[in-house]
Amino acid sequence: MNFERKLNRRSLLKASAAVGATGLASVSMPSVLRAAEPDKPSELIIRAWGGPWVEALKNGVSDPFTEKTGIRIIHDLTEDNEIQPKVWAAVAQNRTPPIHINWDTTTNATKSALRGVCEDLSDLSNLSGTTDLAKPVGVDGYPIVNTYGYVYVLAYRPEAFPDGPPKSYHDLLDPKFKGRIAFYNDGIGFHFPAQVAGGGALEDIPGNMDACWEFVEKIKAQNPLLGEDPDFVTWFQRGEIDAACTISTNALGAKRSGVDIAWTVPEEGAKFDTDGLWIPKGHSESDLYWAREYINSALTQANQQVWLDGLGLPGVVPGLTPPEGLAGDPSYPTKPEDFERLIRISGQIQVENESEWFSKFKQIMQG
Amino acid sequence: MRRYKTSYPISWRFMDVLEAAFALVLPRGGGRLTPYLLLTPAVLLVGTLAVGLLYIGDSSLRVLDRSTFLFSDYWTLENYQRAFSESFTATIIWRSLVGAVIVTAVTLLLAFPYAYVMVRTSSALLRKFLLVALFLPFFIGQVVRAYGWLIILGNQGIVNDALALVGVEPLRLLFNYPAVLFGLVQYMLPFGVLMLAPALTAIPEDIEAAATSLGANWVRALFHVVLPMARPGLIGAGVVVLTLSLTDFAMPAILGGGSQDFVANAIYDQFFRTSDQGFGASLTLILIAVGSMTVGLIFAVFGAGTLALGANRK
Repeated sequence: MNFERKLNRRSLLKASAAVGATGLASVSMPSVLRAAEPDKPSELIIRAWGGPWVEALKNGVSDPFTEKTGIRIIHDLTEDNEIQPKVWAAVAQNRTPPIHINWDTTTNATKSALRGVCEDLSDLSNLSGTTDLAKPVGVDGYPIVNTYGYVYVLAYRPEAFPDGPPKSYHDLLDPKFKGRIAFYNDGIGFHFPAQVAGGGALEDIPGNMDACWEFVEKIKAQNPLLGEDPDFVTWFQRGEIDAACTISTNALGAKRSGVDIAWTVPEEGAKFDTDGLWIPKGHSESDLYWAREYINSALTQANQQVWLDGLGLPGVVPGLTPPEGLAGDPSYPTKPEDFERLIRISGQIQVENESEWFSKFKQIMQG
Repeated sequence: MRRYKTSYPISWRFMDVLEAAFALVLPRGGGRLTPYLLLTPAVLLVGTLAVGLLYIGDSSLRVLDRSTFLFSDYWTLENYQRAFSESFTATIIWRSLVGAVIVTAVTLLLAFPYAYVMVRTSSALLRKFLLVALFLPFFIGQVVRAYGWLIILGNQGIVNDALALVGVEPLRLLFNYPAVLFGLVQYMLPFGVLMLAPALTAIPEDIEAAATSLGANWVRALFHVVLPMARPGLIGAGVVVLTLSLTDFAMPAILGGGSQDFVANAIYDQFFRTSDQGFGASLTLILIAVGSMTVGLIFAVFGAGTLALGANRK
């Protein structure tokens, strides 16, 4: 089993040096590159998530790319899950895919990589300046380039926890939280901490997850709300819930909108995952070249800084300055010790088993 | 004699032009083909659906290999075996079916008086008001309406604000089964009224008057005259509301809080969340089978109602 409880990241110094070298190279490269540049397309289509997500990408990567190349960037806000079958069908039928670049969860993108519809990105020049986080786990090479990580934190309303932050998911079993807690409707982000909370071992994933399901049964008795990313922000804003297992960006979004909210990594740990960028096969050589250039530009320190300031997430390039208030925050791991309480399971194990995990979670919650 | 403008309406002239054009296209004596040509749109529509179903049927017999995310090149019943062995499938089918039946019953109960008043009222103003109130929701999509209920019924919504005024603690009115059914009834009501109104219009008022003059009070007239004569409309409306409710996606997704999935939500999950289109296709065909059998049962017991379009109405 490919299990990495403690994330092994490349030495910061080594990567910093590489970034510096890459930065110098990128400054001096354009004149050389221009000679070999293929024709520019008038536009590139990037699939993205809406709201603050696309705003952050636009400010951090798309606008600087347009400024540098003159290529217009169109953000397609079709959901990542919904664009996937369209891309797969286009590649299978030798048609041009509807998007040039997919901004995708690494787990979802891994399915496309396993299916063989992703272009190889191993030779992007800026990859040499990234940390190990940029490399997708469980697939060969770089069919996907991870661009940042995120944590499924336990977000809570401090008002509902007067004695301090919840220390464990067991704290949510208090009867006063009945109907006041929330999870993703397929349980994503919660399966692994639940395995620990139920007394099981992470090493048993995926073979034996009885402990996880036993704890999910206990949580079910608390009548939790089940939703998706936008729901958590809405529920916190409307005072529907007191605590939720959600991506830190949603908690940060709620906080930035004025909701009194905080988050923590409970003693069971928290799932750590990544998002990435990939290019579907089937584009012309010139479109492919410029799509690769776009992803390459997303790996520069300057662009990562702006993009990830908007998302409040740790990037894959060393030396980024955490956004205000997030330095040392459990949702913003940068040092090896920050990762000690984070749980990372390989994308391959997740894609091979998530269908069963989702079904089992729904079976318990809706049974 | 003065020739009135309406004596030969423009629509008739239009039909004359069409007929002349038709005669040009079809050779002499080709009139026998006309009925078949008129059937062409229906054949195309049903044919497209049939071809789609064949593709879905084919997908349902292919199993996903999760190491390559490609489907098997052979047929297997594995997806169906999985669907029938997982208790979750039975749960969502049962929930969808029971929900559809409840929604249909409540919708008909509310739609009947609405349609009756709309058809029978002597007040043109009231009729217009009821028509506007009926059609207005059609301009607002189902998703928007569902979000409207989130605002109204939420913990900090209008209803709970009103309850707070009389000292009642906030109630959880959303994210449960009754909330989904409530949203569905509100969504289906216009469909029910629209299907019932023509059937009620077709009942001559004289018959009701005759029943009353023979000594029946309005309750007896309703149960012994109006309802039996409105049965084709009730069946037609019932079938439409039942099938739409059974296959609904948005209301369970939005008002159910992720815990009240119908079959359509599970199909979405398989197609778009776990990328298992084969299993999603098998659930699709199971849903079609459940819906078709239910409608077939209704037709067998009650007849096809207005959906029989004049033939074999019971």
